[in-house]
Amino acid sequence: MTVAPDIGARRAPLAQSARAGRRRRIQPRARWGEARLLLLVAVTLLVGSISLGATLTGAFVPYDARDLAIYLGALLVAHLAQVLAGRRSDQILLPVMGMLGGISLLLMQRLPQGLVTMNLGATELGLGEVQLLWLVLAIALATVVGVAVRSDRWLRRYKYTWAALGIGLLLLAFVLGTDIGGSRLSVRIGPFSGQPSELLKVILVVFLAGYLSENRSLLIEQDTRVGPLRLPPLPYLAPMVAMWAIALGIVVIQRDLGAALLFFAVFLALVYAATGRVSLVVIGLVLFLAGSALMAALFGHVRARIDVWLDPFGDPLGAGYQIVQSLHAFARGGLLGVGLGNGLPLVGGRIPIPEVHTDFPLAALGEELGLVGMVAILALYLVIVQRGLRIGAAAADDFRAILATGLALVIGVQAFIIAAGNLSVLPLTGVTLPLISYGGSSLLANALVVGLLLALSDKGVEPPPPPGRRGWLSRLPGRGR
Amino acid sequence: MQSGASRRRPLGRTIIHVALVLSLAFGVLAGAGGYWAVFRAPELVRAPDDPAVIAAARTVPRGRILDRDGVVLADNERGPKGELQRVYKGRAISQVVGYASSRYGRAGLELAFDAELSGLASDPLNDALRKFGADPYDPQDLTLSLSYGLQKAAIAALGDFRGAVVMLDPTTGEVLALASTPTYDASKVADPATARQSFEALQADKGEPLLPRATLGRYVPGSVFKIVTAIAGLGSGAITPATTYKEQPGAEKNGLLVDGFRVRDGHHVTTRSKALDFIEATEASCNIWFALTGLQIGGKEFVDYAGRLGFGAPLPFDLPTAISQVTGGSGSAPGGFKDDVELANAAYGQAETFVTPLQMALVASVVANGGELLRPRLVTAFAGKAGKREVGPETLRRVIDAQAASSIMEAMVAAVEGDLGRRFTAGSKVRGVTTAGKSGTAELGGTGEPHSWFIGFAPADAPKVAIAVVVEQGGRGAEIASPIAGDLMTRYLAANP
Repeated sequence: MTVAPDIGARRAPLAQSARAGRRRRIQPRARWGEARLLLLVAVTLLVGSISLGATLTGAFVPYDARDLAIYLGALLVAHLAQVLAGRRSDQILLPVMGMLGGISLLLMQRLPQGLVTMNLGATELGLGEVQLLWLVLAIALATVVGVAVRSDRWLRRYKYTWAALGIGLLLLAFVLGTDIGGSRLSVRIGPFSGQPSELLKVILVVFLAGYLSENRSLLIEQDTRVGPLRLPPLPYLAPMVAMWAIALGIVVIQRDLGAALLFFAVFLALVYAATGRVSLVVIGLVLFLAGSALMAALFGHVRARIDVWLDPFGDPLGAGYQIVQSLHAFARGGLLGVGLGNGLPLVGGRIPIPEVHTDFPLAALGEELGLVGMVAILALYLVIVQRGLRIGAAAADDFRAILATGLALVIGVQAFIIAAGNLSVLPLTGVTLPLISYGGSSLLANALVVGLLLALSDKGVEPPPPPGRRGWLSRLPGRGR
Repeated sequence: MQSGASRRRPLGRTIIHVALVLSLAFGVLAGAGGYWAVFRAPELVRAPDDPAVIAAARTVPRGRILDRDGVVLADNERGPKGELQRVYKGRAISQVVGYASSRYGRAGLELAFDAELSGLASDPLNDALRKFGADPYDPQDLTLSLSYGLQKAAIAALGDFRGAVVMLDPTTGEVLALASTPTYDASKVADPATARQSFEALQADKGEPLLPRATLGRYVPGSVFKIVTAIAGLGSGAITPATTYKEQPGAEKNGLLVDGFRVRDGHHVTTRSKALDFIEATEASCNIWFALTGLQIGGKEFVDYAGRLGFGAPLPFDLPTAISQVTGGSGSAPGGFKDDVELANAAYGQAETFVTPLQMALVASVVANGGELLRPRLVTAFAGKAGKREVGPETLRRVIDAQAASSIMEAMVAAVEGDLGRRFTAGSKVRGVTTAGKSGTAELGGTGEPHSWFIGFAPADAPKVAIAVVVEQGGRGAEIASPIAGDLMTRYLAANP
């Protein structure tokens, strides 16, 4: 096995000089594109907040000027931190994240504050304030990761450790998980609770990026012919089947259909991106359909979801209640929406959609901002995806390319799954709407994704190690050639 | 091996494929958003279980409901605690207008037009623009084609009997009266103080006062159904007005044998051995002639023509309607009949044939209107802040040609004014005006009194009003239903010459 010496040799002096330069002093670097976009975000959110204030209080002032100022201040600090650190990273991701988070803040401010409360010392925080806290922490995390991560070795080298950690998280959920609405989604340790699957999705992508980048050429080059299909040698399908089993395990253990769907979809997309083999995707889809049929046959709660999806109005006061209320909300919104703060009529003092702040924020936004606003929000997710895929396509090596692609897809596919559930395009599954839904683990995990994308996009980051070591698949017997 | 390591394959192409697939998926989401937020929205925002509809009901005064002369049938009043409640003009209109109760929901027009009355309804364009106004609610007043005076007279005419009267203007489809008995006091259901007591009593009442018989009652039609058979026969060309059956006179005495079943008649005392044509058979209400006609038409054609009249599906009406049927439809013979016996019996209205009074009024008005079926209408105008919107006449379809309609009209005139016809339809004639009609006596089997039926219209040469009357277990058509129809048509024509 020959190491390709030319690439490494050519790059090494450059990297050294860059490192030497950094050691001397950090050169601030203006980020005008990001600044302009952040200004646009600030103006938009200010208008939104004033609109909300006018609706709820009748005065043309921001609904909660202090919280909005804190939020915008956090964005400004994040921007300045990157400027001062002299980063040459993507300038669009932070404003998009800021916009989605701002929309989240406005929504959480206007929902009944008692939906979530948290005691900080003597003060009790309501939904909007708790979400603001998480949003600021999320922005901080994305910025710290984006600025501080200068090397991907720690991700690249320990991929099996990461995989083990992920499975550990899963088991943790099984052992310590608390049942909420039939799903064992959250884990509580002392005062902290979180959803392991949110972190698991990031770990999964890191593992897949490592695995696929190492074994990529083997998966592409080797063939087994089964009828009309050209397949890689069958042992190479083992990871696919393992992944499938893990996804089913998530459904069985956590009863978390959404996470299983997300993991499997991202997995298939990455396998395709890495190999370009449609046959693998076809096999994956067949496995997926078989698994879904199996799950529907075995588990009542899976079947119930599917029944509601097929006929949401069949049981509008029972199993279909949430989704029917969601569809009504979209209908009330119509094309232009009823305006921030004007939607979700209280009936008997209650919001009509249960879990609106975690599972149905898109329905609430669809009502208040209309179809136009909803499509704009969906477009923001596509912008994140586009930035991520672009970073992936321009990456210096396969690991980074697949990692960036996977990170972008984690956000994009998750947004799709919950939006599709809200709109009854897919059966409803309880994943969060990234960067908008209430919840600390969701916000932090997605901020971690954005932070990693920022780091990967930085042109000044450490170059990848030279390709050399091949994956363990290359040591499997029966490789033919 | 070596090439794989040293020459890196770029991922750009496959990444673009992934991007395309995800973009398409998001496109589907936007499409689904459009489907629910625009395409299905008009229906969903009007649904009575929409939270906005429920919330508005508590705060916004509902639109009023007025009759054709401006009489206020439904209005709002402040209760003792200051909350809004509905008050209604009288018991006569309860089955039509229904009630809006904070406790028992909605019924009748209050249910069917809940969104308009509560002020949430609008067309999609206005739905989009209305939101910019300070007051998003625009309760609409409904104007009905119903005449409160006529409605009261119809309820009074039915008296203690259970039954229904439907009167409509055959040239416009406007419903003039839609009476069902027994009725009830809707104001008591709407008043929170008396709602529970009165509603529970109504639910327990064996007479089913909450059932709007005119639209949801399904009755055996008896001989009035012969007009449907005539429409199918003449329309399909299976018969002409001159059609006679040579086996008919001979069968009068002992009945016509169809596959072992005897179709019987009672008029041979007067018609003796005459072979009747269409008009004579209608005047004499000859079961045997119509049974033979039914067989001549064939089951499939029969059911198809009934379908053109509105059978087999809910009527396109402002209130929910029960489905009228010629046959249960589960049989293997053409059209879903079990066999020729069922077809022959259905042809004179006595098999698995069930009809609503509204459907039979439409049958009469198709004949009156030269063969064209108009959509029956109750609501003629919506009036809100944005102005008044009229609902005009709407032709649903031509059922038969004008010549066939005219032959049937001639037969129906004979059934009221002919020497023999008068015996069956005594009292249905409007004095001084040529009247067309057909009575019916629907045998229920067992020992109970038959349902008494009449359908008809007047004046025959230029019809202004069509009517269907059914009196449950009222006896022979001539004795009960016909005089009620005659009185009510006389009353309407006197007021609207």
